[in-house]
Amino acid sequence: MLARGFLTGGVTGVSLAAVVVGIVLGSVPLIVGGACLLAVYVLIRYLAGMPRRARDAAVPPCLALAMIESREAVRGEASDMPVRFDLTVAPDDAPAYRVEFTQDINVAYLPDYRPRGILVVQYPPDRPLKVRIVKRPTPEWEERVAAARLDSAPGPARASDPAEGAGATAVGFLGLLLGAALVVLLFRADLFRADLFGEDGTGTARPPVATSGTSSAFTITVSSVTGTVALGSGQSFLDEGRLGGSVATLARGEDRQRALTVTVQERLLTVVFAPTGTPAASRIDLESLPYDRVPALVQEAMTTLGVGTLSTWQLTADRLTGTVVLRVSVTGSEGAAYLEADGQGKVVRRVSAGG
Amino acid sequence: MGWHAYAALWCGVFGALALVGYGRSLAGMTRAQRTVRAKGRIERVGEPRHGSSPNDGISVVVSFQDPSTGQEFTVTNDGERGERISVAWTGREIGVSYPRGRPHAVRFSHRFSEGGRGLGRPNFSLFLVYAGLVAVAVVDRGWPWALVGFCGPWALSGLFHLPGNVRDRNRRIDGLAAMAVVPGRVVAVLRSVTVDSDDGHTSTTLMPVVTFTTLDGREVTAYCGSGIPDPAGSRGSDLTIHYAPADPADFVLDVEAERRSWKRDMAVNVVGVLVVAAAAAVGVVAM
Repeated sequence: MLARGFLTGGVTGVSLAAVVVGIVLGSVPLIVGGACLLAVYVLIRYLAGMPRRARDAAVPPCLALAMIESREAVRGEASDMPVRFDLTVAPDDAPAYRVEFTQDINVAYLPDYRPRGILVVQYPPDRPLKVRIVKRPTPEWEERVAAARLDSAPGPARASDPAEGAGATAVGFLGLLLGAALVVLLFRADLFRADLFGEDGTGTARPPVATSGTSSAFTITVSSVTGTVALGSGQSFLDEGRLGGSVATLARGEDRQRALTVTVQERLLTVVFAPTGTPAASRIDLESLPYDRVPALVQEAMTTLGVGTLSTWQLTADRLTGTVVLRVSVTGSEGAAYLEADGQGKVVRRVSAGG
Repeated sequence: MGWHAYAALWCGVFGALALVGYGRSLAGMTRAQRTVRAKGRIERVGEPRHGSSPNDGISVVVSFQDPSTGQEFTVTNDGERGERISVAWTGREIGVSYPRGRPHAVRFSHRFSEGGRGLGRPNFSLFLVYAGLVAVAVVDRGWPWALVGFCGPWALSGLFHLPGNVRDRNRRIDGLAAMAVVPGRVVAVLRSVTVDSDDGHTSTTLMPVVTFTTLDGREVTAYCGSGIPDPAGSRGSDLTIHYAPADPADFVLDVEAERRSWKRDMAVNVVGVLVVAAAAAVGVVAM
């Protein structure tokens, strides 16, 4: 029962998530597939339950006298209220037993169901705990009720629906969450790509996206040709970890291997993506750049190249000569200077101001 | 996959379902064909309790005989038993049906019918195929196809059935004049309160229960959902009942209001058919 609830929840979660993800990604097959999955599951459950239903329906239910041990009505505004019964059921051909179950009873008939009162119940022959009160017994059973004297069966009463309730609901809900999470996990790359590049994933017509962080704000603009990150005031790409994180938000998956140039200024990062057909030897793997070294390189250029009071700095990275070259240019009151570093951030050339 | 493929999938699935349904009908395997139908007799009528729910119908004890075995059965309308019994008297004959060999699963109906061949679902599947084809035509060739495709068959059906409907309503109106008149009384007012689980909104339905004795001595108990001005306070009030002598289940409180209602119904029927036919004609002209 619990496994079936989990499976139902899981399939429902997968279906709903597939439809939602399909809508987000604009994938009609995913939407149709999600809807069809649920339909097929319902159909399979229906077909799988047919033999059991046919078997149950073919056999008349057992009727028996029963005595109310106790009852507890859940008061509400509705005229049919759920009542928790504890009954002693006395089948004609089997020992009496106690059972607990809930059944809706109309408020006008509630006084008829008093403790020690006799009534008629029915249940499937193979499931004696699945008891239901017969509200309108036939005249023959009415006569038996009028003449009956029953003794209480020893308790405790067994629940008619042990697997129902909070446990089954929780398991079903857990299945639903896991199913939905599975779909999101499977399509996470496309989903985040869609988030950054637009629904078509090409990023050709995507309006700028403004994202608010916990301590700062920045603007990302991405197209198929370039990607830029502009920081808000009071921030700098020399802050620890900011440059690497910003590049990561600009390019994912294949895009990480197809950058042509990377340009970094104090609050502006620009990545130019290589057009289709650009040789791999000219492209930069964005994952390979030494972002952690950039603050030190800028600091070195500012302090050792004799530019005086610093005005601006800029870092450019490209691979146009076949190897990755990082150039840090600085301008100050005494002129402009630059230094070059290799792909590991090791300085290979210095050109001082005026020199 | 283009949208035509989805349309083809739609038509294919429902076409297959229709074929399966027709095949089952030809093989005599539909539920309707495997249902045993018999005539039941109400042996006892319970008095409705004031304030109880009308959903379960008037409590009755019904006896019937299995046509194949001749065995006699006595059942009540406890639980799901088909149509709600809303008019009852001792000796009234009602329709009973049950799957072959399962008389314990009996269901009641107000009319006696032979059942049919179980073509409802395949016919509906075929309609869905037709609707899919019309949708394709509308998208490919323009909106007039919607009017022609949907309103055309509807109008033809309406025109075909219109004379019969008019005759039926005229017969009903004539029948009102031939009704017998007897005194009646509201013996209980049934009450059903449901609470919407989403917004907590409470909905209350009131159903007065009237009793009257026909001129030939039948004591009729019936739900009376309309015609009583103040249902909540109507318990114990006396009424004048007009009923058809051939079938006391056909009764009204206000003959004139009923006559007006039938005339209005006839007019709505005619106007509805004309509107649908006009829409189909517009579609043909605009094509």
